[in-house]
Amino acid sequence: MCAVLAAEVAGAVLAQYWPILLFMAVAAGLGMALLTIGLVVAPRRPAAQKLSPYECGFEAFEDARMKFDVRYYLIAILFIIFDLEIAFLFPWAVVFDRIGLVALIEMVLFIALLVVGFIYIWKKGALEWE
Amino acid sequence: MTIQLLAFYFFAFFAVLGALLVITLRNPVHAVLSLVLTFFSVACIWMLMQAEFLALVLIVVYVGAVMVLFLFVVMMLDIKVAAAREGFIRHLPVGIGVALIMLAEMVTLIGLRAMQVAPPPNPAAMHGESNVAWIGTALYTQYLLPFEVAAMILTVGIVAAVALTLRHRVGVRHQNASQQVAAVARDRVRLVSMPAERGDPGAQP
Amino acid sequence: MSWNDVLTMLPELYLTGAICVLLLFDAFAGTRYRSAMHWLSMLALLVTALLVVSAQRAIPATAFSGMYVDDTLAQILKLFSILSVALVFVFSEPYLRMRKMAVGEFHTLTLFALLGIMLLVSAGNLVMIYLGLELLTLSSYALVALDRDSPRATEAAMKYFVLGALASGLLLYGMSMLYGATGTLSLPGIAATLPVTPHQSLAVFGLVFVIAGIAFKFGAAPFHMWLPDVYEGSPSAVTLFVASAPKLAAVGMALRLLDVGLHPLLPYWQDMLAVLAVASLVIGSLVAIVQSNLKRMLAYSTIGHMGFLFLGLSAGTSFGNAAAVFYAIAYVLMSTAAFGVILALARAGFEADRIDDLRGLNQRSPWFAGLMALAMFSLGGVPPLFGFWAKLLVLQSAIGAHMLWLAIVGAFAAIISLFYYLRVVKVMYFDKPAEDSALLVSSDASLRWVLSLNALALLALGVFQGPLLDWCLRGFGG
Repeated sequence: MCAVLAAEVAGAVLAQYWPILLFMAVAAGLGMALLTIGLVVAPRRPAAQKLSPYECGFEAFEDARMKFDVRYYLIAILFIIFDLEIAFLFPWAVVFDRIGLVALIEMVLFIALLVVGFIYIWKKGALEWE
Repeated sequence: MTIQLLAFYFFAFFAVLGALLVITLRNPVHAVLSLVLTFFSVACIWMLMQAEFLALVLIVVYVGAVMVLFLFVVMMLDIKVAAAREGFIRHLPVGIGVALIMLAEMVTLIGLRAMQVAPPPNPAAMHGESNVAWIGTALYTQYLLPFEVAAMILTVGIVAAVALTLRHRVGVRHQNASQQVAAVARDRVRLVSMPAERGDPGAQP
Repeated sequence: MSWNDVLTMLPELYLTGAICVLLLFDAFAGTRYRSAMHWLSMLALLVTALLVVSAQRAIPATAFSGMYVDDTLAQILKLFSILSVALVFVFSEPYLRMRKMAVGEFHTLTLFALLGIMLLVSAGNLVMIYLGLELLTLSSYALVALDRDSPRATEAAMKYFVLGALASGLLLYGMSMLYGATGTLSLPGIAATLPVTPHQSLAVFGLVFVIAGIAFKFGAAPFHMWLPDVYEGSPSAVTLFVASAPKLAAVGMALRLLDVGLHPLLPYWQDMLAVLAVASLVIGSLVAIVQSNLKRMLAYSTIGHMGFLFLGLSAGTSFGNAAAVFYAIAYVLMSTAAFGVILALARAGFEADRIDDLRGLNQRSPWFAGLMALAMFSLGGVPPLFGFWAKLLVLQSAIGAHMLWLAIVGAFAAIISLFYYLRVVKVMYFDKPAEDSALLVSSDASLRWVLSLNALALLALGVFQGPLLDWCLRGFGG
C-alpha cells in the first residue's frame, strides 16, 4: 500500500514540473526554428576575404583566444564558495520551523566560519581590482 | 508513467551524447559547453527521480558557477588544441578495452540479477514530504557535524585560492572611494598667504 | 545536539576557533608580526594537546549521533599528530624566513590539515571519513604549491592534486557501493549489517575501491606514483609535513574503515593488503638504491615503510593493529628527524637535498652528523633503536596471523633497505667535504635543541619501548 501511495505522490510531484518541461520544449523548438530559418532563407555567399577576421585594416596579429588573467579565476572560485553556502541555506529555510533554535545556532556557526573567510579575503585585498 | 519513461530516455540520450562530445570535440570551449549539456540532462534525470534539491544544486552550482570557472581555466591555460588531441585515436582501443574489462568485472561481481531488484520506495514521498524538507531534516539534525565541517572545507578553499593566486602589483594607482567622499574643500585647495613680490621695476628685461 | 556533544569534541572546536583567530590575525597584522604568528600557532597546538589529554576516558564516547568517536586510538593518533605538527613548525621556521616564504598561510593551512587529521581519526561515519580526508588533502595540495614561483613545486602540486582527486573519487565510489549494500553510512552499522546483507558481493566490489583509496593516501605501491615527485618537488618544510602527520591520519583512516566498519570482510581485504605490502616492500627497497636526491630516496623509503605498516594491518588482529599504530608513530618521529637535519642544513640558494651535499658532515658538525646517523640507523631498523622495535612488532604480527611468507619478504626488504641508509652514513663520515661546500648548521637555537631531542627520542623510545606499546595495545582492548 505504501508503494502505491508513494507512486501517487510521485506522479503528483512530477506533474508540477509539466509546465517547465513544456517551456523547455518551446524554448528548444523556437531556438532551433530561428536558426533553421536563418540558414535556409538568408542569402549566403562566402568568400575567403569576407570571412577573414578584421582588425582595423591590418592582418590579424594574434589568435582571438588569448590568455585570461589569473585574477578572473580567483573571483570565480570565491563566487563558487559563497554560491555553495547559499545552496546550503535553501533546505535550512524549509525545515527551520521544525528544528528551531538548534538550526539557528548551527547556521550561525556555519556562516560565522565563512564570514571569517570573507573578512580574510577582504583584508588581503583579493576583492580589489588593480 | 509512459511520459516519465519517455522523458528519461530523452534526457539520458542527451546526457550520453554530451559526454561523448566532451571527449571528441576539437575546441576545448565547445567541450566545456557540452559538459554543461550533460550536467543539465543529468539534473533533469534527477528531477524525474524526485531528487529535486540535488537537481537544483547541480544546475545552480555546477552549471552556473563551476562551468564558468572551467571556461576561465580553459582560456587561462592556453591549450594547444592539436597537441591535446595527439594520440586520441591511438589510445582509444586501450581505453575501450579497459572500460569493457571494468564492465565485465562489475557484471560478474554484482550480477545482472541485482539490477532487476526494485528500488526501495522514496522515503520522502512516502511521508508526503518534499525532498528538500527531507534532506534538510537529515542534514540539520543527524548530519550536523559534517555540515559544519563542510564550512571549514570551504574556508580552506578560500585560504588556498588567496594563497595561490593573489598577487599585488606594485605602482598601481587606485581610486579610493571613501577618501573621495570624505574630502572637503580644504583638502583640495591650499590657500597660502605669501608676501607679494615687489621687485625692482628697473631690473626687468 | 547537546552540551555533552560539544564537550566531547572540545579539542577540535578549540582548534577551529584558534584557526579563525589566526586567520584574522594574519589578515590584519600582515607580515610584520610573523614570529607572533609562529608562537600563537604553537600556543594553539599546546592547548589542543592539553584538551586531548584532559579528556582521557576509560570507555569510548561518541558525539553528534555517532559521527564522532573519542577513544584511546583517537587520542594516541591525535597527540602524536599534534606533536609532529609542532615539530614541523619549529624545524621549518628558519627555512621559511630565509626563503621569504614567510607567509601566514603556511601556519593556517597546516593547522587546517591537522584539524582534518583529528576529525578523520575520530570518524564514526563514512561521511566524516571523507570530509576529514578532504580537509587534510585540500590543505596539503595548497601547501605543496605554496612556493608559487618554483616550477617544480607547481608540477608536484599538480600531480598530487590530479592523482589525489582521482583517489578521492575512487574512495567515494567504493563508499557509495558500501552504502548501497548495507543501507547505512555509520561504520558500526555497516559492520552489523554486512554479515546479514544479501548484497555482500556489492560490498566486496566497494571494498576494492575503498582499499585503492586507502593505499593512495598511504602512498603504497602500486598507488605510489605521486609520492617521490611530491617529496622532491615541494619546499623541504612542506615535505616534512607531508611525510609526518598525514601518515598517522592514514593509519587512523584505515583502522576506522577496515577494523571498525569492514571487519566482516576480513578474508577479502587481508589478501589485498598483503599484495600491496609486498609490492611496496619490493619497490621501496629496490628503487631507493639508485636515487641521488636525498628527499627522493626518503620518499622511496617511505613506500617501503608503508609496506611494513601494511604487514601489521593485514594481520587483522588487535596485536597487528597496535603494531601498525606503533609503526606509524615510529615512522613519523624518524622522518621528522631526517627531514629536520635537511632543514637545518638548508640555506638560501642551497637545499641540502642531494646525498652528496652531506659529504663530510662529520668534520663540519659531528653532533648533527651523529643525529642524522641515528635517524638513518633507526629508519633501517638497527637494534636497539625505535625503528627496530617497530619492524619487529609488525613481523611478529604477520607471523601470528599465519602469513610467514609475508614476514620473510619483509625481513629481506629490511636487509636490502639497510644498504641505502648506510650509504648516507658512509657519505657523512668517510667522504671528504667538497672544497667549495658550505655545510653550515642553522644557528636557530630552538631548531637545534628540538631536533636533538627528536633524534635522541629515537634512542630513548627504542630502549624503553614498553609503555608506548602498552598504550597502543590499550587502543585495541589489549
